[in-house]
Amino acid sequence: MSSVILTGVRKQFGSYEAIKGIDLTIKDKELVVFVGPSGCGKSTLLRMIAGLEDVDYGSIEIAGQDVTERAPAARGVAMVFQNYALYPHMSAYDNLAYGLRRAKVASAEVDRRVRDAARLLQITDLLDRLPKAMSGGQRQRVAIGRAIVRKPEVFLFDEPLSNLDASLRVEMRSQIARLHRELQTTMIFVTHDQVEAMTLADRIVVLKGGRVEQVGTPRDIYHHPANLFVAGFIGSPTMNLFPAKVISQDGRKVALHLESGPQVVVSGVAGQAAAGATVTLGLRPEKLQVARAVDGVDKIQGEVTLAEHLGGETILHLSGPHGPMIVKCDEDFDQVPGSKVDVTLDMTGANLFDAEGQAIC
Amino acid sequence: MTTDLIRRRTAPRHLVSSVIYHCVMLLFAAIFLLPFYWMVISAFKSNIEIFSQPIAWFPDPIRWENVSALFARTDFPFLRQFANSVFYAGAVAFGTCFSCALAAYSFACLRWRGRNLVFAFTICALLIPPIVTFLPTYIGWSRLGLNGTYWPLILPSFFGDAFYIFMLRQFFLSVPRELMDAARLDGASEFRIWWQIVLPQVRVALVIVALFAIVYTWNEFFAPLIYLKTREDFPLSVGLFTFRSQRAVEWSISMMGATFTAVPMVVLFLFTQRFFQQGLATKGLK
Repeated sequence: MSSVILTGVRKQFGSYEAIKGIDLTIKDKELVVFVGPSGCGKSTLLRMIAGLEDVDYGSIEIAGQDVTERAPAARGVAMVFQNYALYPHMSAYDNLAYGLRRAKVASAEVDRRVRDAARLLQITDLLDRLPKAMSGGQRQRVAIGRAIVRKPEVFLFDEPLSNLDASLRVEMRSQIARLHRELQTTMIFVTHDQVEAMTLADRIVVLKGGRVEQVGTPRDIYHHPANLFVAGFIGSPTMNLFPAKVISQDGRKVALHLESGPQVVVSGVAGQAAAGATVTLGLRPEKLQVARAVDGVDKIQGEVTLAEHLGGETILHLSGPHGPMIVKCDEDFDQVPGSKVDVTLDMTGANLFDAEGQAIC
Repeated sequence: MTTDLIRRRTAPRHLVSSVIYHCVMLLFAAIFLLPFYWMVISAFKSNIEIFSQPIAWFPDPIRWENVSALFARTDFPFLRQFANSVFYAGAVAFGTCFSCALAAYSFACLRWRGRNLVFAFTICALLIPPIVTFLPTYIGWSRLGLNGTYWPLILPSFFGDAFYIFMLRQFFLSVPRELMDAARLDGASEFRIWWQIVLPQVRVALVIVALFAIVYTWNEFFAPLIYLKTREDFPLSVGLFTFRSQRAVEWSISMMGATFTAVPMVVLFLFTQRFFQQGLATKGLK
């Protein structure tokens, strides 16, 4: 059971508190992604789990053992770093074997494990090469191999794909997903790239300012963000946020008056929204439609500021009466900056946030 | 026009300035080389020829017997003193590299309370002229009964040198921290990380420190003169001086000794020019 349990974990650097009390349980064989903006503490938290940073308060359990005071090598974790961290003066083989030799594994077993990992990652041909004679993708595979050979309880990935180009990143992403399926081991992956988070994770942990903002499956977090920060951070393009006033509430339905003009009804509201209260309506870009105005349906007028033609779809950036809006269109809309368009709102799956920014829908 | 297109473009040549530049450089090179050349040709002349007028710019005949005369002298144990110099310079270079690399690793790669304060104190040591501490140090070694041995000359190098610690620290800071983290996760001890992971990344810096330590020690005169007592214990720097003091008229043997003393450093320089240049760039104006 390679679960990871963090209890009241805190970390201070001088007077700056980087991690402000985190309680989190990562289940056995789960792939959890820590995501958040720069400086949110995701890498620090990962390094604390690895034992590379001391834990000031709280405790960390791995596979049922309290490892808070244990040395990194005694925690049963292996880590893959952003800049690969391969030993430059050692061949790929020696890089893979180094940890096993330190653990005094018999040389025949070292050789077997290194070659098994190399086969799995298709780097057998690279074993004699120095890191400087490899491409970025090859280096990253060797770095992953170095983690695999140790057969850890938990794999830790610290933004391992950030230094790769776009196509290689996609390839390595699918390779990590495949490894997770094949190795059936707990993995914790840190990234600031939400596409990586959405595609890889069993569960996503969204961090901000050293605190956990939300933990959930990618679909949960995308469709039901816990607050305005998560709503704005997860999803690309980002969610449209419309300031509004509550007109009335009828059970789980709330009628709103958007500052930009139209009146809309949001259903599925769990909390209470008093009449006159200020709220924020959140709609994903695919829930906004352009030039499909139907008589009798309220619409918002916007001016095109940028049209991103992506082939199969077009992302329109609009300047609306309440601020910027982003619309995802299925077709190749032929709009140029400066043209005026009407936007209608599809209220299915709408999100509603109270004045404090917490989700009530 | 076609010819113009085919012809390879060359950078404009400033012929006159180039000639002037090279003439000036050659003149300075000749001025710097002249004492060295004079030493070498004097080594192959007789004492009378050295001072003959007009000056003979090349020995005629070349007196090769001066070489064997140098090695045959009983009052100037050249080979013994050469071996002393090699031992002295080698031991100091090893001690300096070992101790300074350990201290620099601690200052650059380990986190401990008071690290910056201790580093500041270490740098302050650069401000103290060595001559100020010489007498108390001498008394200390005397009380330990180690005067007349190489211990007072070699042992201090195993306790670091502020400048080399500073220099190596700068190199250590450029080693990615993730390499050390990866080694920690691989189960390496701090000493093993230093020895097996970090030192190989700063080989150039270590070679530079070793070279400077060797050259400095090879030429070191004052400390061995004070601490060592017998001719057999002297390194070449002191041995040459004492021989010349006692046999002032034997210039050709003195020059032969000086030539053989300088040759190892010249050869060392020829093979390690690149490191010397890098080291001087790092050393700045020291």
